[in-house]
Amino acid sequence: MPDNWSFVLAAYGLAALVLGGYWRRLLRRERELAARERRRGAARDEPRPAHAPPGPPIPRR
Amino acid sequence: MTSRERVLGWVAGLGLTAGFVMAFGVAPREATQGNVQRIMYLHVPAILVAYLAFGVVLVASVIYLWGRAAGADRLAHASAEVGVVFTSINIATGAIWGKPTWGTWWTWDARLTSVSIMFVIYLAYLLLRAMIEDRERAARFAAVLGIVAALDIPLVHFSVYWWRTLHQPATLLRPGSTPMDPPFVLALIVNLVAFVLLYGYFVAKRVRLLRQEQEVLA
Repeated sequence: MPDNWSFVLAAYGLAALVLGGYWRRLLRRERELAARERRRGAARDEPRPAHAPPGPPIPRR
Repeated sequence: MTSRERVLGWVAGLGLTAGFVMAFGVAPREATQGNVQRIMYLHVPAILVAYLAFGVVLVASVIYLWGRAAGADRLAHASAEVGVVFTSINIATGAIWGKPTWGTWWTWDARLTSVSIMFVIYLAYLLLRAMIEDRERAARFAAVLGIVAALDIPLVHFSVYWWRTLHQPATLLRPGSTPMDPPFVLALIVNLVAFVLLYGYFVAKRVRLLRQEQEVLA
């Protein structure tokens, strides 16, 4: 039987693509979540004004 | 990334390298099939790890329904996802091996068909989880499906005995001793261990990400 190296190469290449693709997907999700967590942390730590700025005067009747 | 995950990732990487060396450097060329038989070092471990992954889904689903433990639900989710990845590798490498060996990429053989059904069932499991917004309801429905879906695993494994199939019977998980020579068995086992380690790494990472996702969305 011929050796069919091209089939062997295709099988190993495809498996590497699938596993590598899934790994990259996990890493991307990890980075997204870390960035979202950083943004949330920054929003929490941002100093809030002591009191609300004064609004327009209320007209008297 | 936690230090445990990092260690597991490196060990899995080393295992895959060892598996590659075993498949191409140590295991001899098979006399009848030629070098195309080396695809088996991917194809067989991939389905065995998929069995493991879906077995974990079954156990974690039962635990979730029993005590509503969120950790068990995350484990079931992660394991199903990784199991689908390994099943896809099994189906694809089987088709690539089938063309030069059987003369066809695909045939409606009982083993091939039952594996494909298993693949579709677990895709539906993931789809179900993604479609239901209420997390508790999604977890409950998915747990029920995770238990029912596991019924297909023995069907896949024993299909080669229950029906007359083109696919050969099991070579590793069979009663009695295996008919393979030791170098082939060793290469297969090293690759199986590497795939199990990779499964552990992927699941550990995915479980942590699912926990973080739930914390961010809470």
